[in-house]
Amino acid sequence: MLDRTIQPPFRIPDRLDIPTAQTVTLSNGIRLWTIHAGTQPLIRLSLVFRAGTRYQSTAFTASAALNLMSEGTARYTAAQIAELFDFYGIYYDTSIDRDYAVVTVSCLSRFLPKTLEILGEILFEPQFPPRELEIYASKRKQQLLIEREKPSYQARELFSQGLFGADHPYGRSSAAAEYDALTTDLLRNFYETYYTGGNLFAVVSGDLPTAHVETIRAFLDRFTATVPPADPGVPPTHSTPLLREKRDGALQSSIRIGKVLFPKGHPDFNGMQVAATILGGYFGSRLVKNLREEKGYTYGIYSAMLNMQHTGYFAVASDVTASATDDAVAEILREVERLRTEPVPAAELEMVRNIIIGEMMRILDGPFGIADVTIENVQCGATNEAVSAFFDEVRSITPERIRSLAEQWLDPATFTTVIVGA
Amino acid sequence: MIDFQKKTLSNGLTVIVHEDTSTPMAAVNVLYRVGARNEDYDHTGFAHLFEHLMFGGSVNIPSYDEPVQLAGGENNAFTNNDYTNYYLALPKENLETALWLESDRMLSLAFNEHSLDVQRKVVVEEFAQRYLNQPYGDIWLLLRPLAYERHPYRWATIGRDIEHIRQASMEQVRAFFDRYYKPNNAILSIAGDLRAERVFEWVEKWFGDIPAGRPVQDDIPQEPEQTAPRRLEVHRPVPASVIYIAFHTGPRRSREVTVCDVISDLLSNGTSSRLYQRLVKESPLFSNVNAYISGDVDPGLFIVTGHVMPDVPLDEAEQALWQELERMKNETVGEYELEKVKNKFEANNVFGEINVLNKAMNLAYFEMLGDAAWINSEVEEHNSVTTDEIRSTAQRIFRPENSSTLRYVADPSAAPTASDEA
Repeated sequence: MLDRTIQPPFRIPDRLDIPTAQTVTLSNGIRLWTIHAGTQPLIRLSLVFRAGTRYQSTAFTASAALNLMSEGTARYTAAQIAELFDFYGIYYDTSIDRDYAVVTVSCLSRFLPKTLEILGEILFEPQFPPRELEIYASKRKQQLLIEREKPSYQARELFSQGLFGADHPYGRSSAAAEYDALTTDLLRNFYETYYTGGNLFAVVSGDLPTAHVETIRAFLDRFTATVPPADPGVPPTHSTPLLREKRDGALQSSIRIGKVLFPKGHPDFNGMQVAATILGGYFGSRLVKNLREEKGYTYGIYSAMLNMQHTGYFAVASDVTASATDDAVAEILREVERLRTEPVPAAELEMVRNIIIGEMMRILDGPFGIADVTIENVQCGATNEAVSAFFDEVRSITPERIRSLAEQWLDPATFTTVIVGA
Repeated sequence: MIDFQKKTLSNGLTVIVHEDTSTPMAAVNVLYRVGARNEDYDHTGFAHLFEHLMFGGSVNIPSYDEPVQLAGGENNAFTNNDYTNYYLALPKENLETALWLESDRMLSLAFNEHSLDVQRKVVVEEFAQRYLNQPYGDIWLLLRPLAYERHPYRWATIGRDIEHIRQASMEQVRAFFDRYYKPNNAILSIAGDLRAERVFEWVEKWFGDIPAGRPVQDDIPQEPEQTAPRRLEVHRPVPASVIYIAFHTGPRRSREVTVCDVISDLLSNGTSSRLYQRLVKESPLFSNVNAYISGDVDPGLFIVTGHVMPDVPLDEAEQALWQELERMKNETVGEYELEKVKNKFEANNVFGEINVLNKAMNLAYFEMLGDAAWINSEVEEHNSVTTDEIRSTAQRIFRPENSSTLRYVADPSAAPTASDEA
């Protein structure tokens, strides 16, 4: 007879197959990582430029330069580029954060040459037409105004300010009206300084027999070798303990709590990532159990360690029912305090280990996931060996080390708290 | 091409297995044929509330999440108007844990009062977070009852009135389970690097002895044909006005909806699409535009929408949308343009096949529509759409007397979301 009360035997791998990314440095200095994986005839190429928003001297220049490169080149109008991408079913995506700007193309393998031809136009011959800039600026301005109506968006912006300082390159946000000050010259200058051969690395993944790799190498060879622009680094942070914004008639409060710690290379980062997972990194975590499952204050609550090039921070985020705002903050702090004083029970730690390992397996499943991990590691000055270092730490970390890390790094007296709503 | 094997157990459970050797993960998807459309007018939001309760412990297993997480897995669920879907991905070695959990909650839930009490509160918070405390959050709460007068699609999955959730009783919960959560009303799909034969054995072991329920044959009120245009205008303190025009279409598995899907791609899929090029780029009346099909099982909606730029009169913006719809009715689409959207659909399909969970979900979805094999004929069916069909379908659908128009007017002096309209 089937005993339904007992979980069937399961096992968690005791090692992880770290996907190898082949790396080569081209004659112009560009480093290319190649991940040959997957079964579909698909290729994804990402070019990562040190061209994030902290390099800009005028608000919105970095994102506008990135987004307008594809809006008109020497040979093609914006409409023609859009037409070509859509016709060949090519995905062209851009993303930007404070440190990096990334251009990614994904295509069916048979359209690789066509994809690179259009990408070459974008990267080497952008024109930044004033008319396109005008449309872009007014559109983005309106979208930003809409975003800022959302309590969670506003909380996120205030949180960056509270953690780093309103004038800090990692904390700054700008008025939507500043979109009006953008000019073609500003974008062109930014492009000429930062979208250069000395300022990027590339990661390609998917269906990559030698011929396709050669095609991509030939494409990257078109970049001229340049001396990379200097990284100005970031100044010290000036954090604020509490930023609270009341909204009339708010039904919920968007809460952010955290503090600036250290970047991924720091010896305590991996351990703190485990600690943050125990606290609020999964469904069923301490914060979820307490604030959602026991009290019904919220639909969701999370905590994590977040990484930037020059630093990293710990964060808790949730939207809670307005009347429970202060109690929710108190409960979050109480859970942090528990992490600092009581060692994690063995069963809970085992579960968190398995969750993290399962998540790593899912992330590393498939060529594009491996590429994402590779990009992140290279950005941190590491290799994919960092994956096994993290895996080993997750497997070997002790309850006492987690407790002492939390005690050392999560003193609530040093936290920044942001509340938007009640 | 996705190969699969299909069987029906003696209790009526449909089981689909797809072998994918490229991944270390296995995906399990359980679809129950019950959604908001099966609800009674006076007890709405129940299918969705029930989804939450499915995580509150089953008859032999006190916690659902913990065993999944121990086995390195990740799970979630969603509810829409037509069905409720539960899914998880975990290392393939641990597939049996998934079958153990899913079979036990199909057998019976724990029906725990505390869990019901908490999930009522969590759903009320979800309602506040997603629908009320968010700019534009109540649009679908307004648009559904405008477009539908009789069919249960007139309410959102969260419910017509949040009081229904606050008052949900344990008795109702039990009755709902007994009616809909039966093997004969469910589809189980499994994908991974597994031998189908072995998987069927395991499924038989865990699900085979669950008693069948009575066949579900809900008498769902069908929507009468719309005969006159409908309009609604509301004022809200949002940064930009929004226009929604909703047209009635046929059911998901009709030729008409396939043609509508192609029309929606011509109108708004990608930056080369008609609405984007003409109404965002050439004459910037909107900051964004979109056209899409709702994809409902019963006759659904074709939606055309956009955020209007400041200072553009709403009449002018609305007319511009109609002008594009008129072109679809009166002019023949060029072969090149049609080929473009077909290429894009095909590429999108290949990208979707990378992910093993995605495949398991889609197999169950197509089986619910009528036949899992349709997963492999979608591309071909799109490719067979002709320019004549596009024109005649547009003429049939885009008629003022078949439309419901919602104007969501930006008005700084308006009160936030009025809950009485929800």
